[in-house]
Formats: sequence, structure tokens, C-alpha cells
Amino acid sequence: MAVTRRVFLKNSALAVVGTTAIPSFLTRAAFADVNGGGKKRMVVLFQRGAADGLNIVVPHGEPTYYQMRPTIAIPRASVIDLDGLFGLHPSMAAFKPLWDSKQLAIIHASGSPDNSRSHFDAQDYMESGTPGVKSTEDGWLNRALQTEVQHHESANKVSPFKAVALGTALPRTLAGSYPAVAISNINEFGVGGRAAGPAAGGLSNSFESMYAQSVDSVLHGTGQETFEAVKMLKSADPARYTPAAGANYPRGRFGDSLRQVAQLLKADLGVEVAFADIGGWDHHVNEGSTQGQIANLTREFSQAIAAFWTDIGDLGADTVLVTMSEFGRTARENGSRGTDHGHANVMFVLGGPVKGGKVYGRWPGLDSRHLYEGRDLEVTTDFRTVLGEGLSRHMGNRQLATVFPGFSPESKLLNFIR
Amino acid sequence: MTERSRRTTVVLITLALLSGSASLLLAKSKGKKSEAQIDDSKRALHALNRLTFGPRPGDIEKVNAMGVDKWIDLQLSPEKINDSAVEARLEPFRTLKMDTRTMVQNFPPPKVIKAVADGRLRMPSDPKESAVYEAQIDAYKNRAERKAQGDGKPGAPGDDIADAATGEMNMSPEAKERSLQQQQSRNYAQAEADTLLKKSPQDRFSAIMKMTPEDRRATVQALRPEEREKLFEGLSPEQREQLQAMANPQGVISNELVQSKLLRAVYSERQLDEVMTDFWFNHFNVFAQKGADRFLTTSYERDAIRPHALGKFKDLLMATATHPAMLFYLDNFESVGPNSQAGLNGGRGNRGNNQARRHETLFQRLGITKRPNNRRPQRSDSNTMAKAGAAPRPKRGLNENYARELMELHTLGVDGGYTQKDIIEVAKVLTGWTIKQPQLGGDYEFNERLHEPGDKNVLGQRIKEDGEKEGKKVLEMLAKHPSTAKFISRKLAMRFVSDTPPEALVDRMAATYLKSDGDIKEVLRTLFKSPEFWSPDAYRAKVKTPLEFVVSAVRVTGTDVNNSQTLAQALQRLGMPLYGMQPPTGYSMKAEAWVNTAALLNRMNFALGLASGKLRGININKDAILKDAPPPTDADSEVAVVANALLAGDISQQTRATIRKQLDDPALNPRSIKDSERLRDSQLGIIAGLVLGSPEFQRR
Repeated sequence: MAVTRRVFLKNSALAVVGTTAIPSFLTRAAFADVNGGGKKRMVVLFQRGAADGLNIVVPHGEPTYYQMRPTIAIPRASVIDLDGLFGLHPSMAAFKPLWDSKQLAIIHASGSPDNSRSHFDAQDYMESGTPGVKSTEDGWLNRALQTEVQHHESANKVSPFKAVALGTALPRTLAGSYPAVAISNINEFGVGGRAAGPAAGGLSNSFESMYAQSVDSVLHGTGQETFEAVKMLKSADPARYTPAAGANYPRGRFGDSLRQVAQLLKADLGVEVAFADIGGWDHHVNEGSTQGQIANLTREFSQAIAAFWTDIGDLGADTVLVTMSEFGRTARENGSRGTDHGHANVMFVLGGPVKGGKVYGRWPGLDSRHLYEGRDLEVTTDFRTVLGEGLSRHMGNRQLATVFPGFSPESKLLNFIR
Repeated sequence: MTERSRRTTVVLITLALLSGSASLLLAKSKGKKSEAQIDDSKRALHALNRLTFGPRPGDIEKVNAMGVDKWIDLQLSPEKINDSAVEARLEPFRTLKMDTRTMVQNFPPPKVIKAVADGRLRMPSDPKESAVYEAQIDAYKNRAERKAQGDGKPGAPGDDIADAATGEMNMSPEAKERSLQQQQSRNYAQAEADTLLKKSPQDRFSAIMKMTPEDRRATVQALRPEEREKLFEGLSPEQREQLQAMANPQGVISNELVQSKLLRAVYSERQLDEVMTDFWFNHFNVFAQKGADRFLTTSYERDAIRPHALGKFKDLLMATATHPAMLFYLDNFESVGPNSQAGLNGGRGNRGNNQARRHETLFQRLGITKRPNNRRPQRSDSNTMAKAGAAPRPKRGLNENYARELMELHTLGVDGGYTQKDIIEVAKVLTGWTIKQPQLGGDYEFNERLHEPGDKNVLGQRIKEDGEKEGKKVLEMLAKHPSTAKFISRKLAMRFVSDTPPEALVDRMAATYLKSDGDIKEVLRTLFKSPEFWSPDAYRAKVKTPLEFVVSAVRVTGTDVNNSQTLAQALQRLGMPLYGMQPPTGYSMKAEAWVNTAALLNRMNFALGLASGKLRGININKDAILKDAPPPTDADSEVAVVANALLAGDISQQTRATIRKQLDDPALNPRSIKDSERLRDSQLGIIAGLVLGSPEFQRR
């Protein structure tokens, strides 16, 4: 069976060369064949600006928490309790069903061991996956793709949408030698855009045939991939997309990003890793509690993820979604009813293969003796341990030493993935 | 080599000596590739492709008239080239000539605004300057108020409208009331804005200046983006700058920097100097969006990079090492010797730490972005301290970031023969190399109190304790190191020859480097005179970076750039925002980094947009493309004329045929266009767009 598939694939791939008229369902089928059927997916979400993990997954069982945050703590009565010690911010009610169905796991007191409290450096270290090393050129997720077991690709065909980031520029996480594509709006992915009007199709065909016939080996190959990608996307008809029933994405960039990721996944275009981000977490002043800035942002965040999960439906069985933020915030609130740059944070992991309904990691507590540098939640789980488990257990990556040079998470895995 | 082939070679060389068409004959002899030379007719094009950001209309003829070698010599001596035209274009950009302190004062960063708002710094007395401060303080207070109300996001000023649109669904009654009021004042502001737009430029400017900051903000917010553009119409550059500064003072600095880079790349006659300034900036990369580097980068390029672009490498190295932009970017400014006065006192209780404190206040007075306990390593120390219940002020320590990149990326190269121990030793040597008042735009200073005492050992050499001079000694050592000679030579060859330059060429360049005490001009001379540079293998061997692609497209079409921001945005989409490379590696020069699906689409779309005149403020010069050509009588000759103008005629048969075929597409020739001139213009746009997006144009 596998042999026949491969032959079909090779033939159809060859057929793409030199013709502009290949029916789009064929190209789609070709990629669907490579990437469908047991292919695993990973979605990585970055909360930029250092989210306040302590007001997102609230340690309501710790009296110290309430002492340290007299005005911005989430009152025990409002917290959505999870296990007696921790509870969700009330704005994150959308996460409760995912927790109850044991698809959502939480890793608290996780983060980067580097003690930088600069957004710039800390994001850089987390995205490169090499805390403390500035000159790392590529991102951890790109290295993960570089080192992936190549069994499916032996048919020498990789979907151009295998690694996708939503946004105008490729994020540091996905930068590197493995081809990854940044898309800000999947409806505008093509030649000429809307502005070119009726001529767009012809211009696109002209470019395609120029590149297809070019003797330039580098540009010929990429040109071919490019136009396959354009056609694949067109055949998916993203403009006419309707999310699944019950998938109510909140308005805003983050919801738009996740809706588009869902579109790409459901169109079966061979997406294997996807990246999106959400900013605005730097709440130094008037962070708020059950209302206010943190409440609005956690609502948008959780509703978008929950809508995405509803939207992708059965595909969730082979998908793992993980969230991260560059560092946490001070355990104590500051003089402006906000929080300053801290250390450890909370990560969410959501997915079919996830053993959810549990808070993982060692909780160091908020007692001042246990605070990092006397002020912040201590990191007891390195973020690379969490990502490493996703990569190895879920994606089947066997080269974590290359993905995270100088770090070996294997011995410390938390076993949150089946 | 067999006896026979050797004899053939001898014969060929003899022939070469006798005959004028030597290069042609050699080119035909297989296996002697390195001696083969680019066809004479392509020499000028090749030189222009490599030494400039791409030929402009008429350039090839000019270079041929002067003689290619003579032209290269001239480019190596930029001081002999009159560049007044580009200087005139840059005249309106005041920040380009400002020292950093003045820049910070005129275009205050948020920290300074906050300090003035909180009464910690005084407002400047100059009315133009204080107008900027007042506007910014108003915006700052407005933001704080919005945050306090807890509605919407703490986003950028001017997004009220968007917030109102998205937030309406779950609004409290109070918020609804407030939103209603806002709507009314918006209506009022809209009316104000409309009258404003009808005024003459001068009246408009003075009316805007007379408004209170609040009214001004409301008025600007009432305008749609394209209407905001109109506010600026007819104003003098100074007036524009003044208004922009009131809206976003730091933006003025980065806009002017980005625009000046593009304008120089497009219009400067000193093209090699521009190419090299770009090359060295990228080599000694800093990221202009990191904190104080927002206002330090202008001076960095102007004072540290440009003056040495064709000078001595050691001067370049010293200039970058002591520039605040680099000291800030790679954190050396806050590196503290563990056994220095500051290191010892800062880490241990209160006794006698006045000096360390005094130093800290320099960082902290304006609430600098980095906290003093933001040091790297020293983790075990901090933990012990935290456990002991000490005040949360951990010991500040050595920061190795600059020392590491100095050797790995700036001089020796990653395999240049240094160890982790050398990194630590160099970091110690460079302690005390810091910035005086970084948030106020201060200069480099050596601060003895931060300097690690004792002798150091770098690359097997003892560096005697000697304060600031230790660092100078080490930088000189690194600059003349054979690994540096090789590393720099290879990188230059990668820029000018190919992604994988021949090793023999790199060796000869490195030899010149060592012989000439790292004279960049001499190393380039060796390169430009080498057979490898002129080898047919090198012709169009390089895929253009996005910057090279965009600028070469603009140059070759004789385009008039009125708004270089449009080009800057294009570069952002192409993945190469100017001054926007975060890691210290700088942008890659290799094809693989730039050839991918999304980038290729963006290149095609830029090409079509440029050629059809759809980019704002960018006007393609059709006459320059059609110049000297006989008026195209039919589609075939029109394609030929455009291909001649944009690719010096070197276009593949396939590309030509494809474009020709495209012209028959009825969608392109709408019947509504009856006027033959307009039809030709529209066709010209299509042809030029396809040529600029073709595989051929992606290479240089």
C-alpha cells in the first residue's frame, strides 16, 4: 500500500513540472497522502510581554498569594477550582471543559533558567531554545524540523505548509534552514493580490512557467514549490471558510490567527507545526483582577484556543498545542497595582495525546524563603523539558540534543504525554 | 595532468599571448575554468552588479567609457566622487547629523517623557521642543488613564476607535456612557479635522501648533490614515518632522535612519562605499529596536561604521567596541568584574558600597530597561542569597556576551581557535568599558571601578593589568590574528564572488590582509583583480538579498523615490527589515536564507507593484526604460527593449517567450483602454513587472 502511494505521489509531483493546468485536487491529494494518516501536529503559542502566570493559574490554596497581592489577587470565591491548590482565572472558563475532558494539562513554575528580565533577551533565548546564548541563528522549532525522522519525506516531497507562522514575519522560533512560511492573511497568499484584478491569474501563470522552465536549480525548485502552495491554498478556498459549529473565535488578531491555523489544518495541506502569538501581557500598572486588563486578555486567549480546539474537531487527536511566555511576573504586586518582571510562569499543554486534568511540575511555593532572588516564583521545570517531551513523545523527534544544545530533558520528562 | 594536456595548455597560453581574443579561447578550454574570464561585453555589468546596488539606466555605458578597471579604482576612493545629489536628498533629515544627546533631548524616549511627567527631569525651554514633550506627556497621561479605567488594551495611542469597535459587545453601562461621549467628541474632532484639511499648508501648520495636545490628539485620531497623509501635504521638511515628533518622537529617529539608508543605496554615487557600509553594519550587527539602541544606531552607523568602511579593520573594530550602541546591544556596559570595587561592594551588604551605588544610579535614575539584578550566571549565588533572606539585590557579575561575539562573529570566527576560557578572560579584560548615562544618550567611558583587577591570559598571551589599555591590546591582537584575516576575507569573498568562494582566493586575500595591516581597501583590490572574481562561474552566481533586490529594481527602472518608507515596508515583508536583525549574526548573505515560498511570492508582488506604479510615493520612470530605444512598434520589440533596459539583454529564451505570450492575455488588454499610449504604458508595466520578478533578476 505504501509503495503505491509513493508511486502516485512521485508521478503527480512530476506532473506538476511544466504545466500550469494540474487540477488542484490532485496536488492536494498528493500532499494529503504524505502528511495525512498518522502525521502528528504541534501548535506553538507565544504570550509576548511576560504573562502573569500567578493570576492565570491561581494558587488559591496558598494564603501567601493573597498576602502578596492585596488588590490584584483573584478572590477564592471567583477562582475556577481545579485541584484544591490551583484554579483558573474566572475569564478562562472556556478552558474548564478541556480540563474536565482531560485534554488540558498545566505545567506550573516552568520557564527559562536564564535570569534575564529583559523582554528582548528572554524572548530571544526562549525562541532560540538556547538560554544565555545570543548567537544561535535558528529557532528551536526549526531545528526540530531539521532533525525530524525523515521517513515520510523519503518520497522527496514536503508540503510547503509544513511549518507555518501567522504574521508578517517569520518568528525567531521558526527561523532557520528548514523552509517555513509566514502568512499574515491566507486569503492574500498569491501573485498580484486583489489589486491586480482579472490579470492576476495570468500573471501568476506567467511567473509559474518562467520558474518552471528556468535552468536556475535553486530558483526553479522554490518556484515550483511556491506555485504548488498557491494552488493548494486556492483549492482550499479559504475565503469561504466557516468554522465548525460552536467554534466562536473572539475578535482580534489572535483569534484570527488561530482561525487561520484551523483552516490550514482542516484543508489537509500538510501543516505539521504552526506558530502564533498574542501580545499585551506586560501589566506593570493596573493589572486588574477578576475585571480589567488581565481579565480581558485571558478571556481572549482562552476563548480563541477553545474555539480552535472545537474547530479542528477530530484532528485534535493528533495535535498538541503548547503555550509559553518569556518569563513570569513578581509574586508581589507593585505600588501601581500591577506586577513587574519576574521569573517562572505557567505553560498549558492541550491535545489528544495529553494526560490532562492535572497540574504537573514541582510547586516551589510562594513562601519568601523559596522565592527566586527573594521576589519571584522559582523555575522548577525548564521550558525545554516541556517542549522536549512534546517533540520526542508526540512528534517522534529523536535528536533533542541538537534541538536544545547543551540540555538533555530526557531524564526529567514529566510524562504528560501518553 | 598528463603530458598531453600540459602541452595543450602551453599551446593555449602561447596563443593567448599572441592573440587578442585570448580570454575567449581560454574560456573554451575545459578544465581551465579558473583562468576563463567573463565575456568582455559583460564585464561592466558584472562589476556594477557586485560593486553597486545594481546598475541604473546608462551606467553600463558610463563604466565602459571610463574603463572597468579605472571605474573600480574610483569606487575604491569614494572621497574623489562628488555625492552632493544624495546629500541634498538627505538634507531634511536632521537626526542624521545630530549627536545622540541632542537627539534624546529633541526626540525623547518614553523613559525621558515619564521622568519629565513625574517631575524628575525639567521640560526643555525651546518652544518647538517643549511642544513635543507636551504632546507626549498628554499621550502618556491619556494611556495611563485608559489603563486605570481598565477598558481596552494598553495599546498604542490612536487605537481608540479600533478598541471601541471590538469592545462594544461586553461593555458595562458606564463604559457605554463613556463610549457615547467619546463618539460625540469624535464627531466634533472630525469637523475640526475637515476644516483643517481645507486650509493652506502654512495656516494648517500654525493651526495645529496652536491646538492643545488633547485637541490635537483627538483631531488626528479622527482622520483616516490617508487623510493623515494629507495633513502633511505642502509642509516643509522641518514642519513635517515637528509634527511627526509630536506624534512619535522615537519614530522620527528610526524613520530617518531607515530612509537615509535606502536613499543612499538608491542614489549615492559612492556605491561601493554604501555596499561596504551595509556589509560592515551587518557584520557588526546591532538591533535598532532594543532599548537605547533606538537612538544610538544613527551615530553607530555614522561614526563607527561608515568612516572605516574602506579603512583599516582594526579601526573599525575599535570604533564598534567603544560605541554605546554595541556596548548596549551586547550588554558589555553592565558587565562588572567580580573582584572589582563595584563587584565586591555590590555583592556584599552595605559597607562601603557607595561607589557601586553611585554607578548603579546611572543605570537606574531613569528606570533603565535592565535591572541591576538582571545579570547572567551567578545563579548559585543568588539562590543562596534568596534563601538567606537577604535583600533581593544579587551580586552583579561578568557578562560574557560581547566577549563571545567579538571572537566568534567579529574577528576569529567560530573555528578560529579560542576556548570558553578565552571568552571569560576577554570579558574580564573588557570590564569597565561602559556607557555614561545610557538613557540620556551618553558616550563611551572607561569606569575603573567596574574593571576586574589582575593579569589576564588571552589566546595564550599574558595581558598585564593595565586598566583600559588591556582591552585595546586585546582588540589589536584579535585584529591582526591570522584567523581574523581568513574569516574576514572569506566573508568578503562570499559577498562579492559566491556563496562558496574558492579557497585559493580566500588565501590570497588573507595574505594581503596580513601584509597590509588589515587594510580593507587592499584586500578588496586583491579580490577585484583576481581571476576568480572575473570567472564565468561568478557571473550571476549570487542570489540577491531582499535589500539588493528591492534597491536594484528601483535603480534599474530609474524610479523616483518620494517615499522610501514604502520600500522599507516592502523589505519588512521580504523578511529583511532594515536595522531589524535581532541576533548578532546579522543577515545571511547566502541564497538558502532568502529563497523560499513566501519570499518569492513577495518578490513577484513587489516587482508587479513597482512596475505598475502601485507603490505609494514610488514613481517608475518609463522614459528611462525606453530611453534610446527605437519606439516599440510591436509587442516583440517592446519585450526586447524592456529586457535590454532591465537585464542588459541577458534574458533567457523561456522568460522572453513567456512574457510575450502573456501580452496576448485578453485580461491585460481591456477594451476600455482605447488610447494607444495608455495601452503601451500598461503593457510596459506588465513586461517590466514580469522581468523584475523573473528568475534572472533575482541574481546579480
